[in-house]
Amino acid sequence: MQRLFAFIEHNFHIILFVILQIICGFLIFSLNPYQQATFSKSALGITSSINKLSSDIYSYWDLKNQNSWLQDQISQQFRESYPQSLSYLNDTFHIKDTARHPLFDAIPAQVVFNTGYKTNNIFIINKGLNHGVEKNMGVISSQGVAGVILSSNENYSAAMSLLNTNMKIIPYINGQEYFTEILWDNTKLNSLTINGINKLEKLNIGDVVSTGNSSLLFPKGIPIGYVSKITNTPKSQYFELEVKTATNFRDLEYVFVIVNNEYSNLKKLLTND
Amino acid sequence: MIRLLTYWTLVIGFQVLVLNHLDISSYIYPQVFVTLLLTLPLHLKKTYQFLIGFGLGLVMDLFVYSPGIHMSACLWFIAIRMIILDRQDLKEHANNKLAYSIKTAGFSPFFYTTLILILFYHFYVLWLDGIGNIQVEHMIITVLSSSLLALTIIGVFQALSLNRYE
Repeated sequence: MQRLFAFIEHNFHIILFVILQIICGFLIFSLNPYQQATFSKSALGITSSINKLSSDIYSYWDLKNQNSWLQDQISQQFRESYPQSLSYLNDTFHIKDTARHPLFDAIPAQVVFNTGYKTNNIFIINKGLNHGVEKNMGVISSQGVAGVILSSNENYSAAMSLLNTNMKIIPYINGQEYFTEILWDNTKLNSLTINGINKLEKLNIGDVVSTGNSSLLFPKGIPIGYVSKITNTPKSQYFELEVKTATNFRDLEYVFVIVNNEYSNLKKLLTND
Repeated sequence: MIRLLTYWTLVIGFQVLVLNHLDISSYIYPQVFVTLLLTLPLHLKKTYQFLIGFGLGLVMDLFVYSPGIHMSACLWFIAIRMIILDRQDLKEHANNKLAYSIKTAGFSPFFYTTLILILFYHFYVLWLDGIGNIQVEHMIITVLSSSLLALTIIGVFQALSLNRYE
């Protein structure tokens, strides 16, 4: 303590100088309008950077909550936006939900395991039977179709990815459903192929390939991918299309399981038919 | 003591009533009152020097309504003066309780000390005054011309005091 007092005594003039300069600084930047404006502008520049940094850090820590909240919002919107009626294979038959229950529900889920390097890729989500997820339910990401549920236990479900040679979806392009299939030929990640579209059809690079009416698992209009290459083989009467998947399977993390509330009834009708 | 107070009053009066209202050019804004700080007695404690500098700056700020600018400049002026005077051999004069002047320090040391301090003071005040809207060319010319005029006037003061001693 004595040393501290001795130090203060010895350097009192420096301490006084600093205190008086602080007072001066306060007077200069609080009582001189021009200096005050300049100081405020400079201070704002510094503090806004610091505030942004702190906000970024806070946002980063809060990302999980935000994602969860966003997923809930999206699934809520999904329930409200999709029609309460479903037409199956256009003219085949038409079903209407007279009880006015939403035909499709969406259950938000997170991908806990994902493969993209196998011939038949799958991913596992953190929702299972306890959450209402069952076999043969569609799975979409925020960009488009992701896969179909293969099996479920209480808390987890395995889904067949679009990047699976067993996955087959009927494409819907430019307002028309083509009775062929989109396939993954195990050549490129995030790339599918469609064969069997007649050369008389008008197709362009960038056309959206989406789900049509012929699926009980997905509502109509969910993007599957975008036409990225059209190959015109001279000997064939069909185009070979390369489709870039709408969902990026490299970083698939948040998905929604699509629940068709009338799946069993519709399936029964189809089976009877 | 009365002579000292009269001297201070006259110098401050000369600054605020005459020099601050000089309308020769926008480039001339001489601060001669700092001669009071420059010529403070050598034996004066550092703490008192800072307090005197602060007080004198406050008086000048009240007259020109520039809160804090002259106070801050005067404090820096005292601090730099202390550093420069520590390098000069003035112990004997300090023991004799003499003020810093041409007579005690010699022409060259006094001239260089005054030159540095005057240039610094004008630069600092003009920089603080124009902060955020500084026109470098205008500021440099003003600092140089004002310092030159202030140096001349301080030189005259010193010459008059020399004559008085002789």
